[in-house]
Amino acid sequence: MTTLQFVFGDPRVCTGCMICVNVCSMRYYRVLSPERSRVRVVRLDHGLDFPLFCRNCEDAPCIAACPRNALKRGKNGVITVNSRFCDGCGACVEACPYDAIRIHPDTGKAFKCIQCRECVDWCPVGAIWMTTEEQLSQRDAEGGLRRVYEENASYIYQRRKNA
Amino acid sequence: MIKGIGGTVLWVNLTKGTIQKRPLDEEIVRRYLLGAGYLSRMLTDMIPVGTDALSPDNVLGVATGLLTGSMFPQASRHVIAALSPLTGIWGESHAAGFWGAELKLAGYDAMFFTGASPRPVYLNIHDSDVELRDATDLWGRDVFETDDILRRRHGLLCRVLSIGQAGENLVRFAAIMNDRDRASARSGLGAVMGSKRLKAICVRGTGAIEVADPERYLAEMREFHRRMLANPFTPQRAKYGTTNLVELMHHIGRLPSYNFKTGVFEGYEKISGERIAKEYLIKPRSDWCCLQRCGRYTAVREGPYSYEGGSPEFESQSSLGSRCGNDNLESILYAHHLANMYGMDTISLGGTISWAMEAWEKGMLTADDTGGLDLSWGNHEVIVRLTKMIAFREGFGDLLAEGSYRAAQRIGRGSERLVMAVKRQEIAGQEPRAQKSMGLAAVTAARGADHLYAFPILDEVGFDEEIKQRHGEQYLPEMSDRLSPKYKGIMVKESEDYMVVVESVGVCKYGTQIPPEFYYDDIAEALRIHNGLDLTAEDLQTIGERIVNLNRLFNVARGVSRKDDSLPARLTSEPAPAGPPKGQVVELEQMLDEYYRERGWDLKTGIPLDSTLERLGLERL
Repeated sequence: MTTLQFVFGDPRVCTGCMICVNVCSMRYYRVLSPERSRVRVVRLDHGLDFPLFCRNCEDAPCIAACPRNALKRGKNGVITVNSRFCDGCGACVEACPYDAIRIHPDTGKAFKCIQCRECVDWCPVGAIWMTTEEQLSQRDAEGGLRRVYEENASYIYQRRKNA
Repeated sequence: MIKGIGGTVLWVNLTKGTIQKRPLDEEIVRRYLLGAGYLSRMLTDMIPVGTDALSPDNVLGVATGLLTGSMFPQASRHVIAALSPLTGIWGESHAAGFWGAELKLAGYDAMFFTGASPRPVYLNIHDSDVELRDATDLWGRDVFETDDILRRRHGLLCRVLSIGQAGENLVRFAAIMNDRDRASARSGLGAVMGSKRLKAICVRGTGAIEVADPERYLAEMREFHRRMLANPFTPQRAKYGTTNLVELMHHIGRLPSYNFKTGVFEGYEKISGERIAKEYLIKPRSDWCCLQRCGRYTAVREGPYSYEGGSPEFESQSSLGSRCGNDNLESILYAHHLANMYGMDTISLGGTISWAMEAWEKGMLTADDTGGLDLSWGNHEVIVRLTKMIAFREGFGDLLAEGSYRAAQRIGRGSERLVMAVKRQEIAGQEPRAQKSMGLAAVTAARGADHLYAFPILDEVGFDEEIKQRHGEQYLPEMSDRLSPKYKGIMVKESEDYMVVVESVGVCKYGTQIPPEFYYDDIAEALRIHNGLDLTAEDLQTIGERIVNLNRLFNVARGVSRKDDSLPARLTSEPAPAGPPKGQVVELEQMLDEYYRERGWDLKTGIPLDSTLERLGLERL
């Protein structure tokens, strides 16, 4: 089976500049707009800036949740939204544990990161990179990085409640 | 139609509690750009001569720049302006952060606040929904609490701009803070906000910025980013921010110490950037699309001065440190943190305390005046205590909350001579006897003593190549010589014109002036792809000149002339006692002559000549 890749970031290294956010909305929607970006950056206390992306979950609850089969995982392992099928019902948005799918304010359709890695190329501090779950476990052998995410999960994944 | 902007301006009448939305006047933008230039034109026309800065007749303007919210490096800035309660003349201040970009995303470029609210209010903006809300529960809260409460109430993703207690208490050097630790600090505009009983502006913008040339946008911006990152200054800036200027400036004798008695500080290593980086830095932080990363996130983990939060930068280290003879770094970091929390300008804060310390040393202030406080040089406990007492106007702090000029007027006893200010605003952390251009810049700046209005740094560490490019080879070597007064009038004039353009497009002085990576051509290119404006480098330079002359006219109408363009006698007649500038004074009059000539201002009065105004399309007020 294809190795599932995703973009991941270190909130202890990220400086919060939001360049990734702007690159994404410009590349895909030709505007500068965090609301129309497939990545979001959340600044929290203690000097943490979280760059947050689709995690390309193996069990992909977004696919399972879609009543119209609009979400599919391609041969390259990337999950995409078929806009012809999507009616913007938001079931995938509810299902995503990482708040990584949203409904686009202009199209009314779901949209998400497709691991194009454009943002990775732009990041001025190397705070984000392409990885797999396995590579991430190796890189974060002592678990410090994952712990930072877990400890702040209620803030970084509660975006819709707070927005 | 100008692209890349919100297109709408908010007009808030605080007396009546009404809000109006009006389209941005693009004709003004073509002549003055946005940001500082736009506010200069609008407020000059709106604030009558004779207005008291703390009365409802003052108008507070807030504006983003044309590139604010763009992907140009460091395009994170907004400008705030009004008649200054500290100087009585043009008041202007700028900050980075995310607030300005958020305002653009909500669809607005600027806002004006007239009148004064009968009760505390805050403005809440969520895209097209704009409302004034009761702020009774926020009044008396510090900047961090206000940020916490408003983001809990309106959403974690909101961006908050507010005053702290210092602004509420009309401290004459109160700052307006945004994104917790970004400060529009100079000119005392926090007190203007306080006098209007406007506590905060909370913004959430979910819109989109449409740019003029989306096809080329990313490729062009990528090239700007590449150049910024390749500049040799960038890694240093990321590592230290501005904090290591302490050691650099000590070595060239430019670190104001003991209320500007000298430019070297024996304790410099103890308050150095190197020490901050080693012991207190958590990480560098950026504002919107910032590649310089001079923002710090720091903490003192234990002891009486423990805190965690954003910054500091060089100005706070020098003003609360060397300037007060204080080598206790943790106290500097903590006092700076308190200044952010209460919302105060650390330059004027340290400048005013150091004035008091020298007056104490000379016996002009005694324990009877200070309520028993011992103002000996370097008494860090008293510096920290006074920071709070000033914000709350408690005891002796009430006098210092007026700034050093007014405090000295009230105390007398010769303490007036110790005021290190120009036009009533405290001089920033550049000992001008060690860099003559900074002395000239401090007196010509529109907002009173100021290093940023011109920010003349081409002579700081010998940017000879840039001097060649921007001025011409014929000015070398004198122009790049820090200690030579020659050609500094030419350099400061050019720098002022460029820097007001930079503040009008909403980008940072880092990247445009130091390091001098981007110049007019680059700004023109960015304005083309982002805004669709077809302005040449020459057009921009003329606009810069127009803004500087307009600021001058604002001040001339309020009595300013050559007589006010002066430095404290210490800097022009007492030779620097130590370090590389030993024996130097500031040859101000010679530099001023050159500057006025270059500007087309009358040599005797320092007032713009008719021919100059005509050329720039300006009218006298």
